[in-house]
Amino acid sequence: MIYTVRLGSLSVRLARRHLLIGMGLLLALLIAGGMALQLGQFDLGAGDLWTAYRGELDKISQMILLDHRLPRVLVAIGAGAAFGVSGAIFQSMLRNPMASPDVIGFNAGASCAAVLAILVFGSARFVLPWALTGGLLTAALVLLLAWDRNGKSGIDPYRLILVGIGASLTLGATSDLLMSMTDEQRAADMAQWLTGTLNARNQADAALIWGGLAALTPVLIWLQFPLNRLIMSDDFVHGFGLRLAGLRLLITGVGVLLAALAVSVAGPLPFVAFVAGPVARRVLKTGAPVLFAAALVGALVTLGADTAARMLSVVQLPAGVFTAVIGAPVLMWLLVAQFRKGAL
Amino acid sequence: MAADSSSVAFSGHRPHRLMWLGIGILAMLISALLSLRLGVRLIGWADIGRALFSFDPDTADHIVLWQIRLPRMVGALLCGGCLGVAGALMQALTRNPLADPGLLGVNAGAALGVVICTIALGLTDPAQFIWAALAGAAIAAALVFALGGNAPSGTGRLILAGAAVSALFYALIRGLLLVSRSSLEVYRVWVLGGFDNVTFYMVATLMPFLIVGLVLAFAAGFSLNALQLGESTAQSLGVRVGFLQLLTGAAIVLLCGTTVAMAGPIAFIGLIVPHLARVTAPTDMRWLSIYSAVYGATLMALADLIARSGMFGSNMQAGVMSAIIGGPVLIWLVRSKGVRKL
Repeated sequence: MIYTVRLGSLSVRLARRHLLIGMGLLLALLIAGGMALQLGQFDLGAGDLWTAYRGELDKISQMILLDHRLPRVLVAIGAGAAFGVSGAIFQSMLRNPMASPDVIGFNAGASCAAVLAILVFGSARFVLPWALTGGLLTAALVLLLAWDRNGKSGIDPYRLILVGIGASLTLGATSDLLMSMTDEQRAADMAQWLTGTLNARNQADAALIWGGLAALTPVLIWLQFPLNRLIMSDDFVHGFGLRLAGLRLLITGVGVLLAALAVSVAGPLPFVAFVAGPVARRVLKTGAPVLFAAALVGALVTLGADTAARMLSVVQLPAGVFTAVIGAPVLMWLLVAQFRKGAL
Repeated sequence: MAADSSSVAFSGHRPHRLMWLGIGILAMLISALLSLRLGVRLIGWADIGRALFSFDPDTADHIVLWQIRLPRMVGALLCGGCLGVAGALMQALTRNPLADPGLLGVNAGAALGVVICTIALGLTDPAQFIWAALAGAAIAAALVFALGGNAPSGTGRLILAGAAVSALFYALIRGLLLVSRSSLEVYRVWVLGGFDNVTFYMVATLMPFLIVGLVLAFAAGFSLNALQLGESTAQSLGVRVGFLQLLTGAAIVLLCGTTVAMAGPIAFIGLIVPHLARVTAPTDMRWLSIYSAVYGATLMALADLIARSGMFGSNMQAGVMSAIIGGPVLIWLVRSKGVRKL
């Protein structure tokens, strides 16, 4: 069953299956968000939000709910969605299931700069600006080195991937080396930052990630259309009359921006960007770029990881430890399920 | 006539390609000899010859050579060669330029084995990590194959399964390291990958695994050639794709598992050397493997030589060194259009 939604000269085709699954994921996200709000020493939950907002609750409850729990949940959802979309658009653009923002070296550059900042300043205080600068510089450098001036397509996916690997592994090895050169305390600080955490997020963080997402949403909605064509070969894309070079540059820019937003509020949470696309594609059973579903899956994984991290109160572990612990089994389960059915 | 022209084309390429192999072997021998000679204590050529052929246990130079330099050199050459072959196999199997042998979960499994070992048994000496690393590598690879292998048209799944298992293991490692400071202390040195602790005993212990791995690799080579034409074409040529995956996977696991047990995780050689080899080697997988082995061994020995020269501080190790040098080299190759597509 496929619906067609028309709006003037634009039309969008929606399969009922996809709508239902999208709503299911959204519902799951809402339930998970509600549960995450409930979690903690004080007996407060999503039901108290409205009274807290009106200022009818006592000061402490209001502070816990509005300044701590709600921003944390919002940041988890926002950062997860940003990572998920970023990964999904890189995977579609490069036509490679292993691609993610890491491919363009953003994460490696950010991590290396962060490690350097901790090594130089001795604490994790100035890490964020350094990490963002490092990530953006690396991405720009990789893009510059991969840019093909002669060809029509601007960025050759194969070339971008290889240049990205080169940059990522060199920077990763440098981080490892820097980490081995320092004392125990700094090494622990580095390991902590490199894992990615959602501890102590405030309203400013939530505003940053959601503001960024809101600003990018129109671009992302529009990107769905060219991305659907980009998964075909370059010749086809030319045949459709799309300008490959400019399009690829735009997509890379959007992807890096999303990753930068997510890293600035949650650190380099591993695996979210990688897993969201494949899981979304397998749940929806389509090869098309599925940005909205990838955003939901990324948000679910991140929120689940953070909730798991909070529930384990014996040892304080950052959320980054759990993103892969939650994401990887989901991917494995989907692989096994498909294997049984003989699909793929 | 057709056979004639093809043989002309074939012989037209041959001298060129053998020249590159010759250059590679020469470079490998030179770097091997240099790594015997150079170090904190410079050993003269004549002394090297005397130490090798008439060993005198009272001469300090001879002891340094036999106890430290020679095992280290042999370890570096073996590891580099095996990683090169494993990388060529992995990229041929998955037909993905991003594929690195670590993708089968071998490095992640070995690392988890080492971390668990340091926490549960309190081991801190890298020489004791061999079996933990080997067992971890085998378990991870078995898990990857159970999830993604042995299916017709399964290479895409193999990649995803490998990435999922690796990510899961690295997450466990991160968690354990954040809990246990003492294992972070051991891990952050081990993860650099190097040949500081290689002994002849270690090489001899791991040798059988390496030999079996190499035999399997060359057995798989011919069918992998057919696989380069695509899975369906390979199937119609009579290749059993599922079995081939298992065979190649077993070879990769054996080669990488022993390497990671000997020297720790060395990421770059397996990834970059096949790309280097593809520039000069013929497309035949078996030739490509030989080229990759020679180039890998050379690069590894050179990286170890530079790492222990002390130019970059005492923490520098061959694994890190090869990655730091290899990155720019790969980028340069890509930009000069020297890299042939898979």
